[in-house]
Amino acid sequence: MEIEDENNFKLRPMKCELNYLSRSDGSAILAQGETVVLVSVNGPLDIKSTSQSIEKATLEVLFCTKGGKPSVADRFKENIIRQTCETAILGCLYPRTGISLTIQELEDFGGLLTCTVNCACLALLNSGIAMRHMVAAVCCAVSEEGNLVLEPSYTQVQSASALLYFVFDSRERNLVTGFTEGSFSENTYEEALARCRLASDVVFDFYRDIVKQYSDVI
Amino acid sequence: MAEVYKLIHPVKYFNDYINRNVRPDGRKFDDQRDIKLNVNAIKSADASAVVKCGNTTVVCGIKLELAKPKAEEPELGFFVTNVELLPLCSSKFRPGPPSDHAQVVSNVVSDICINSKSVNLKELCIVPDKLAWVVYCDMVCLDNDGSIVDACIITLMTSLKSLTLPKVNYDVETEEIVVDTSVRMPLNITGLPIATSFAVYQQSPRSIVLIDPSADEEEMCGGVGANLIICCNDEQFCGIQKFGGSNLSTEAEKKTLAIAKERSKLVEKVIETCLINEIK
Repeated sequence: MEIEDENNFKLRPMKCELNYLSRSDGSAILAQGETVVLVSVNGPLDIKSTSQSIEKATLEVLFCTKGGKPSVADRFKENIIRQTCETAILGCLYPRTGISLTIQELEDFGGLLTCTVNCACLALLNSGIAMRHMVAAVCCAVSEEGNLVLEPSYTQVQSASALLYFVFDSRERNLVTGFTEGSFSENTYEEALARCRLASDVVFDFYRDIVKQYSDVI
Repeated sequence: MAEVYKLIHPVKYFNDYINRNVRPDGRKFDDQRDIKLNVNAIKSADASAVVKCGNTTVVCGIKLELAKPKAEEPELGFFVTNVELLPLCSSKFRPGPPSDHAQVVSNVVSDICINSKSVNLKELCIVPDKLAWVVYCDMVCLDNDGSIVDACIITLMTSLKSLTLPKVNYDVETEEIVVDTSVRMPLNITGLPIATSFAVYQQSPRSIVLIDPSADEEEMCGGVGANLIICCNDEQFCGIQKFGGSNLSTEAEKKTLAIAKERSKLVEKVIETCLINEIK
């Protein structure tokens, strides 16, 4: 299914299954195009006293690559996901506890981090942890000619002169997280941000559709 | 008295200052700290620099080595950056393997260098497939009082600008390497990336952007390190990172871009002045 809205934003087809794992508190598997990620959420649970915080829940993120070997770049990804989810979760409701988020990369054909953030949000929704807002990540590539491509494919990622990633909140569409690769002008950045902000609606609609399938209340 | 108050009610202490439109260290929201820069601080290194942004102190030393290029990239040299956050710089760091935060900072700094394309790796190659320079840039933080990435980039770029490569004669037949240290050529650096850190503080209903935050301010804003790092390079941007902290509206985001551009011009001047003084 190709996802399109009235503004003609074409994102890569998204497929999702919640409760994919039976033993975790919440889990989701999400495919965006050919990129596939599996996320499991456990918590709030007991953690060792040194990492407890008296003000809010401690979020632990573990990112497992397909290759299995941990690297400095993985710590960076974990940091992005932890900080994004920390703003989304109402951690003050679960003081002195830990919430653990385990991410397994299954396939990477570009846009791995957007897929991971979206999948983490779905897994958190599935686990029933109280959240301030949802988050939606959208990626935008700047091609050699300076054209903007939303949710680029693998070949487009390889040939792009810059890649811009944005994560928005569901309430006011404000920027929660953003990070970039390559260099670009201010105008390009502004335009990419505006287009990704509009495209995030598609992702939030997708969340609604998925959650609807698993719950008859909404 | 203020110290005790800060310990007992850290949030209220911080809010009281913010309500009066001033920061705990007396700066305005858009005031940055003074920068002190010194080139060639380490005589035994091939190039070096020390920077002090307020209390944040970072030393950068560059070491040159010769190596054989990778088989898959025979025409490229090597450029390796590393940031060390030792227990010396802050009570948050413990001895042992680098913490997550140290790895993140290291990754951000090396990403900025790669994205800005300041160093042309082809220039580091002496003889394709045979010999190439390895440029090790080690940055050590002596005192971490916030905005660590800014300081790292300033010392790194200053060191790189003052770096000279000795002439190398390579005999293809005998594979003999002769390094002539009396003839030195400066390394070409294109552009000058300058990073500017911000912390975004949510004081409902407004969100406040603090430039060049100190370690205390970064902590109050909830992030691990600065919330927003914008890296300018000659009117272009080569890295805009936003992690955690309060969410950023469109107006606030436009304002930060303008501030980052302005600050990059100022820092550029600081680096240039420092390098000119060194030559004299």
